[in-house]
Amino acid sequence: MSVILEMLSPDFLLHHAIWGSVVVGFVCPLVGVYFVLRRLVFWGVALPQVSASGIAFAFMLQGLGLTILEGGESGERHLAIAGAVVFTLGTILVLAALERRGRGLSEGRIGALYALASAATILFVAWNAAGETEMLGLLKGEIVSISERDFHAMLNVFGAVAVAMFLFQREFTLVSYDRDMAVTLGRSALAWDALLFLIIGVTISLGVMTVGPLVIFGFLVIPPLAALPWSRGMASFSVLASLLGGFSAFAGFYVSYTRDLPLGPVVICAACAVYAVSLSARRLC
Amino acid sequence: MTEPLIRFNRASLGYDGKAPLLTKVDLEIRGGEFWGILGHNGSGKTTILKTALGLIPSLRGKLAVKGVRFGYVPQKERLDPIYPLSARDVAEMGTYRKLELFSGLRGRGRADVVRRCLAECGASAFSERRFSDLSGGQKQRVLLARALAAEPEILVLDEPLAGIDITTQQALLALLASLKGRLDLTIMMVSHRVRAEKGLFTHLAWVDEGRVTTGPAAEMLSTGRLAEIFRSEL
Repeated sequence: MSVILEMLSPDFLLHHAIWGSVVVGFVCPLVGVYFVLRRLVFWGVALPQVSASGIAFAFMLQGLGLTILEGGESGERHLAIAGAVVFTLGTILVLAALERRGRGLSEGRIGALYALASAATILFVAWNAAGETEMLGLLKGEIVSISERDFHAMLNVFGAVAVAMFLFQREFTLVSYDRDMAVTLGRSALAWDALLFLIIGVTISLGVMTVGPLVIFGFLVIPPLAALPWSRGMASFSVLASLLGGFSAFAGFYVSYTRDLPLGPVVICAACAVYAVSLSARRLC
Repeated sequence: MTEPLIRFNRASLGYDGKAPLLTKVDLEIRGGEFWGILGHNGSGKTTILKTALGLIPSLRGKLAVKGVRFGYVPQKERLDPIYPLSARDVAEMGTYRKLELFSGLRGRGRADVVRRCLAECGASAFSERRFSDLSGGQKQRVLLARALAAEPEILVLDEPLAGIDITTQQALLALLASLKGRLDLTIMMVSHRVRAEKGLFTHLAWVDEGRVTTGPAAEMLSTGRLAEIFRSEL
């Protein structure tokens, strides 16, 4: 109990790290519910990896002397975010267009994309002339060393994402569930899809910078899967998935801190434990 | 004679990048009519509906739709059962014509519209149950309620009787007839059979081998290929 109180204290050394993880845990499942419902779970695997390759690409350009942004460490972080956002949104655009055409094997495309993004990330790191260690930290997510300014920027963006997901929940549900119905009601399914994918892209890009691709994938998919059997309606589904994500992040941080284990893998194990409990309890009920 | 709500004029219908499924389609639908779009599986019946609804463009020729509000009842199998939606949630989607902030339908107002539409379709008793757990006939009633919640002038139904037992089919047809009379609706309904629905249709469109033949139901059922098929169904 004393450890938990220590973790909750504003003076806690890893104050930003714990609250950053918990916020990511709360917000990622809000967009992840649409991955699960649209049966795009594999997008959740591939897109964080694409985002990581965008970060590596941006740093490679910097290393090759093609300086885009000035301003030391802060500039580098902004560069990394720009790389992640451009790569992620570009990929979402292409994937969404291919899905709409409905040709080819969707899972095959995503598998190939994941392999390509993983390989590209390694190659971009290998070609980077400087700062390999620092960049590897960014690719894994550097929540522990996040600055005050970046922490507040992250809170603002993730707060806006959460508000948008609740404000436009009806529209996102309608275009996801019955696109044709949305069109007959005079709604622009394309515009609402674009907004949803934009929010997904921003969430993944910033999340990968904060906690790394593995944890983002876990938060996008596992809490919604754990919440689904208990949900009645989209609002309860989103809220429950978000709460389970936040709880998994906090529990994972506690174990990581007390047992001196790496944060990301422990958080994922905590989320999987929650999923296992949810499924077992559902079978008993 | 009143101005048509929907008019296809020498239209070619189909999907972009592919050869047209139907050519030289001439079809005029006026207020108060009940159209049956009949034909074999894969003949292009749903393509006519989707074009009228604006879901796919006409490939050639003209399509004029006179600014009408549609209430759409899709094939129930098309809706993914993974969504954790109750029957009421699904019916409520009919009220999503405008953004919540500008809809003028909030909270109680929206709930009242949905409750009334569910009651009109005989779906109140199972409105809190999960939509994916309902029987085929119950789902169809909920989808009808959703279409009514859109306050439509034209009700468009895609194979509403498919996969439903005879008794439920008759109950649904009676419900459609009653709704049409009470709400002064125009109806377009796709079906691949004639027998059960024959008394309801005022007009028929027979879709076969890339062509569409249209006319008053009584006339269509008394002569030609459709009459032969109708007699064999009997």
